[in-house]
Amino acid sequence: MIVFEHVAKRYPGGVQALSDVNFELARGEMAFLTGHSGAGKSTLLRLIALLERPSRGQVLFEGRNIGRLSRRQIPRLRRRVGVIFQDHKLLTDRKVLDNVALPLLIAGHPWGEIRRRVRAALDLVGLLDKENMPIPALSGGEQQRVGIARAMVGKPPVLLADEPTGNLDPELSAELMRLFVTLNELGTTVLIATHDLELIKRLGRRTLKLQKGRMVDDRAGERARPEGTAS
Amino acid sequence: MTPAGGTIRTNMRGDVRAWLRRHGYSLASSIGALVRHPMTSVLTIAVLAFALSLPLGLFTALENLRQINRNFERLDSISVFLALEADAAGSRRLASRISSRNDVLAVDPISPEDGMRELAGATGLDSLDLGDVPLPWVLEVAPASGADPAALADALRTLEGVDMVVVDLAWVERLEAILAVFQRLVELLAVLFALAVLFVISNNIRSEIQSRSEEIEVMALVGATAGFIRRPFLYSGLWMGALGGLAAWLLVHAGIALLQAPVRELAAAYGTPAGLDGPPGWLLAAMLAGSGLLGVAGAWIAVSRQLARINP
Repeated sequence: MIVFEHVAKRYPGGVQALSDVNFELARGEMAFLTGHSGAGKSTLLRLIALLERPSRGQVLFEGRNIGRLSRRQIPRLRRRVGVIFQDHKLLTDRKVLDNVALPLLIAGHPWGEIRRRVRAALDLVGLLDKENMPIPALSGGEQQRVGIARAMVGKPPVLLADEPTGNLDPELSAELMRLFVTLNELGTTVLIATHDLELIKRLGRRTLKLQKGRMVDDRAGERARPEGTAS
Repeated sequence: MTPAGGTIRTNMRGDVRAWLRRHGYSLASSIGALVRHPMTSVLTIAVLAFALSLPLGLFTALENLRQINRNFERLDSISVFLALEADAAGSRRLASRISSRNDVLAVDPISPEDGMRELAGATGLDSLDLGDVPLPWVLEVAPASGADPAALADALRTLEGVDMVVVDLAWVERLEAILAVFQRLVELLAVLFALAVLFVISNNIRSEIQSRSEEIEVMALVGATAGFIRRPFLYSGLWMGALGGLAAWLLVHAGIALLQAPVRELAAAYGTPAGLDGPPGWLLAAMLAGSGLLGVAGAWIAVSRQLARINP
């Protein structure tokens, strides 16, 4: 699904965010990406959604080298990758419903279908009763869940999450993680950047560790991969 | 129809529907932006209206002056004064001979009595006693359109029985020259103010983009194409341009309405029942389309710069 081959990313100004990163994420897999802040976790996720282009090496998505995609092809890729941002990236002047509906509006789906799918997504994250609330009226955890609903409403094959439990209490974090596991069990490939080691340990999934831009550890989960998912 | 063909047709119809839905969304979004910031929109449209009303107003003034000029051109005839001894029959013979020329439109023979009456009328005196001063027969020759009045006058001078040929074209030429200068000025101003419209709208859309940069970024992140992001702003540019053009049009009409009464009085004083004409109808359509397109162009410039930043 996702393959990194000798990927390096150097930002203008000389900051080396990633150097020679190699790994492969199979279809239907769920993995964690850890490391100190500044280790390059966000950069790695940004390369997959083509928010950045690699300086060297190649990132393959479904077999295609996405570093070579033209600007016109970027939107098509981004519709296949749902991204959950640390800072939510929600439209604060719109209602919950409109935020979650955005990817479907962009794809031009009929309004009736949009409503149905938005409600299904909101139901899954437990926010169905807040669909008409403005974003600022929600708590941090609720906003994060709106972001998740938006990322998954278009049913992308890949979900990327950047510190989704960043500033949530342990109970909410556990709840969110259960949501990711559910989505993974429904067939979505999931990659989560987090430094919540406690959580990772509990879930027992594959864990990739970045240190100063290098992949220093790739540990398979103690827990077997869910049955029925292709690798 | 095979099932496969049916599917293709259904898909195409679906694509068209999706396209229409996306456009509908952009349209609604652009109107929403105008309505959300009514003050900004009104101010921008007012600036555009003032900027556009100047060349439009000058153009209208120019058209009205042209109208006056055309009226004068009808008076642009050559006066042929015949010798005093010429009689009515001889004068009319000469008149019909001249009127058969190709470069002559019409010849109007004026008898000494008619000449006297006209003179009396023009001076405003009931009767004019010029004593024994005799008036000759005069042939008012109207040149055919396209004919060279000066050459015609020269030809007429050589005819037998002609005493004097008077052509007073200098003032007509001067007026035409002034109008030509005026027209060039209007064209220059039109170009300048068209550029002003482009920059005003571009700048306005740019600040609109800045205040909505978060939204643009989010849309790009969830897979919006450049066209989808650009479209609401292009519509906004179109609305602002077209509304500015319409407002300029109304301003010029208001100006004409205010000037109408004094101009009528002025014209009446000169004995011609002239009023002011508004700008022609085709110009309204041209202005709406033109300023609308300028608005779209301005918006395009502004959005493309922002998009290059989000899509590496």
